[in-house]
Amino acid sequence: MITLTIDEKKIEAPPGTHVLQVALANGIEIPHLCYHPELSVSGGCRLCIVEVEGYPEPVPSCGLACTDGLVITTHGERLHELRKNVLDLLISDHPLDCLICEKAGDCLLQQYAYEYGIKETTYTPTISSTLYQDDNPFFIRDHQYCILCGLCVRICDEIVGVHAIDFAKRGFESNIATPYDGPMIESTCVFCGNCVQVCPTAALMPVSRKNKGREWELDRKTTICGYCGVGCQLEYALKEGEIVYAQASPDGPVNGELLCTKGRYGWDFAHSPERLTRPLIRRDLAYELGLSSEAWEQPDTSPLAVKQPKIEDDFIAVDWETALDLVASRLAATVSEHGPDSVMGLSSARCTNEENYLFQKFIRVGIGTNNVDHCARL
Amino acid sequence: MTLEKLEKMAQRERERQEKFERRVFCCISTACLSAGAGRTINALQEAVDACQCKENDVEVVQTGCMGLCSRGPLVRVEDKSGEPIIYADVDIDVSQQIIAKHVPMGKLKDESVSEDVQEIREKLKKARRRKGLEQRILDTNAPFFAKQEKIVLQNVGHVDPEKLEDYLAHGGYSALGHVLQNMTPEEICDEILRSGLRGRGGAGFPTGMKWNFVRKEESSTKYVVVNGDEGDPGAYMDRTMMEDNPHQVLEGMIIAAYAVGASYGYFYIRGEYPIAVDRIRRAIRTARRNGILGKNVLGTDFNFNAAVRIGAGAFVCGEETALIHSVEGKRGMPRMRPPYPSTSGLWGKPTLINNVETMANIPPIINGGADWYSRIGTEKSKGTKVFALAGQLTNTGLIEVPMGITLREIIYDIGNDVPGDAEFKAAQTGGPSGGCIPAEHLDTPVDYENLNKLGSIMGSGGLVIIDSTTSMPEFAHFFMDFCVDESCGKCVPCRVGTVQIRTLLEKIIDGRGEPEDLNKLEALCHIVKATSLCGLGQSAPNPVLSTLRFFREEYQTLISSQEPT
Repeated sequence: MITLTIDEKKIEAPPGTHVLQVALANGIEIPHLCYHPELSVSGGCRLCIVEVEGYPEPVPSCGLACTDGLVITTHGERLHELRKNVLDLLISDHPLDCLICEKAGDCLLQQYAYEYGIKETTYTPTISSTLYQDDNPFFIRDHQYCILCGLCVRICDEIVGVHAIDFAKRGFESNIATPYDGPMIESTCVFCGNCVQVCPTAALMPVSRKNKGREWELDRKTTICGYCGVGCQLEYALKEGEIVYAQASPDGPVNGELLCTKGRYGWDFAHSPERLTRPLIRRDLAYELGLSSEAWEQPDTSPLAVKQPKIEDDFIAVDWETALDLVASRLAATVSEHGPDSVMGLSSARCTNEENYLFQKFIRVGIGTNNVDHCARL
Repeated sequence: MTLEKLEKMAQRERERQEKFERRVFCCISTACLSAGAGRTINALQEAVDACQCKENDVEVVQTGCMGLCSRGPLVRVEDKSGEPIIYADVDIDVSQQIIAKHVPMGKLKDESVSEDVQEIREKLKKARRRKGLEQRILDTNAPFFAKQEKIVLQNVGHVDPEKLEDYLAHGGYSALGHVLQNMTPEEICDEILRSGLRGRGGAGFPTGMKWNFVRKEESSTKYVVVNGDEGDPGAYMDRTMMEDNPHQVLEGMIIAAYAVGASYGYFYIRGEYPIAVDRIRRAIRTARRNGILGKNVLGTDFNFNAAVRIGAGAFVCGEETALIHSVEGKRGMPRMRPPYPSTSGLWGKPTLINNVETMANIPPIINGGADWYSRIGTEKSKGTKVFALAGQLTNTGLIEVPMGITLREIIYDIGNDVPGDAEFKAAQTGGPSGGCIPAEHLDTPVDYENLNKLGSIMGSGGLVIIDSTTSMPEFAHFFMDFCVDESCGKCVPCRVGTVQIRTLLEKIIDGRGEPEDLNKLEALCHIVKATSLCGLGQSAPNPVLSTLRFFREEYQTLISSQEPT
């Protein structure tokens, strides 16, 4: 272990770590915009500069390797002044429309501007790019808010492994672009939206978030993604019970801050009127069992039929107890009449391992047959 | 090929050259070529052919820079019977006069020669009677030539850059042969360290120390990179060395590779230097054919190969970490150091990166020895420095001077003062990263430390002279504009800060400046300097800061003259 001193506090750090990483882990806050613990170091935002004993100029702590005996000061008058000026420069290239920005309340630039008391830039406001790209159904790229921290580029390259975007042009004209600035859909992008989640400002925003309220108006609901058995932890941001957007729950043990396109964007079924929310029993069976007094008629399925059949025409809703009782009794009847091998079980990849284990146990022990399989083998 | 065979080649070439009564050298470096040297050398050759003189009477040789680029195309005649003469501004007519004067016209062996030849013979006869050739002769005893000390450029202007044999005849690759046979890598590094050579790219890091860092790294793969991404406006030292004596740079590189244990190397040359790219590639090809590169260099068990990588026009790629990214095929953006390239460079392997001029210094140091080299220059800055003299001077061109020479000597003796009625105002060293040095500091000896003290840097060797007709705020604006254009966009202070500095400068120049703007400008410059990621941003404010330091009154005049009356 390496021992270094940060703000007069002796801290032990494993070899190969960087000062910012160690400071954050020990509860010492150093402002940073382009650093992410899962990504390679960029060192572009210049906010995490710290004073190092023996160094003439402040150095960014994100790329400063921990060495024995390092003495670091993270806050001070000069650092405050330099950081404030760097933020001032960033704000000079950023619209001051926090009043109408959906990201307000969750924007890191806004947060630091507040901390360092920057009301407006002392320089000449100059917006480098006003490009607005909504060329895909998932997220909007609004370049005027982009601070070029490069987190989106790095997460796409280093973690997702797609490298759909990168820096284009040079200097003040730099922007984040797809190859040859083609539409997102024609790039290698898989629309996982991890770039959207790491974006510290409103440069990358889910389409669904547009005009749907600001951060503090949204409720948060943590849940598990139902799409596959991995069990990624999800956080839905809700307004009046309706999902506004989904993101990975930062402390998800399985997925960390990452999600795939289904988990992040595939939640519109939740509010669909066609969504099954209660068990349904076929009307003919219900009539037979005395659950319904109406006899069931074969609907006219001819294409010439004027009326489209509705789900209520063929099914009636029952409570869970009734439905489960019905399934159990019919299953038991089938087994006793035709033997256990007349039954087979097929389970889903969207269930967890534990659920799949229980299911095969139920088929093998409960029913008494080895006829059990899994959809992933099909 | 072994060293003995190379020596035989050199001997043969020397004997071949000695047979000639006279040799006519024409510069085909970019500066002269753009002044028409291509036509000149053709005219010289045609005239020589038309003379139909005896065998071994005359040879026209293409060669490199002779220094006084402002008077190009330059032609030098070396006659066995007299001192070499350099002619300036040689166009087709003058070239015929030169040949008519120096080369005796032979009798036509065959009457049925083409009409063209007949015509040229007629022209030569007329040229013999024409006057005014004396005015084209440059005085080689003039301070421009006499005050220079040529080590790196010793053979530039004498060898044919496209002929390996010519370089060999001038003692080429003898340093490589010597180190491969008689020196261990450690001894070479110590020799270079003792010589006091410092990086000629601008920062002045001791070269031997850098070599030792890479040598001591334990890695099965190491690389050597020659940085030829010379980007400072007005600077062309590296271009000249690559164009005019590519083998000397290559030899330095191979010695460096042997010293640090590298087996592969890259020349990183900026795309705007097509001739340099062509000649370095040609040098690599011939070296490979002759066993100087490749497996078993000169018959030893040392293997080394090299290739050229061409820059795509970004100034920042001269910064070593951005250069590494560019060679790797990535976007040319710098990264934070440490780790330094000597630990983790190309593809994460230990990499030695040296400037072209640094590499070109290596063969003379090995040949002359560290003791000889360290006697030249000042206490902390050894050897010579090549400068590209540009701007408002009578003599502009490429010069090599010992470290410690004063700016006054360079400007008034070598440069022969500012032309016309204007007066000298400032000298700028280090390009957009450097600063302006005013007249009162002209007696400062030129070395790394002294230039730093004046708020400038040694830089790669651009030396731009500004006369009294130039407005310093506008001069600073030009360089800030350059930095805005060349910033890679990675870090905030450089990307946004340079734009805001430029905006403030424009405000002042346009007469909209307010008294507090000067302090604001100065404060912003210091912030950009202190917080930028790489050398580009850290030094971008230098032209503004140094003009504010020495010519503040010009800024103040611009501001006060616009105040409401």
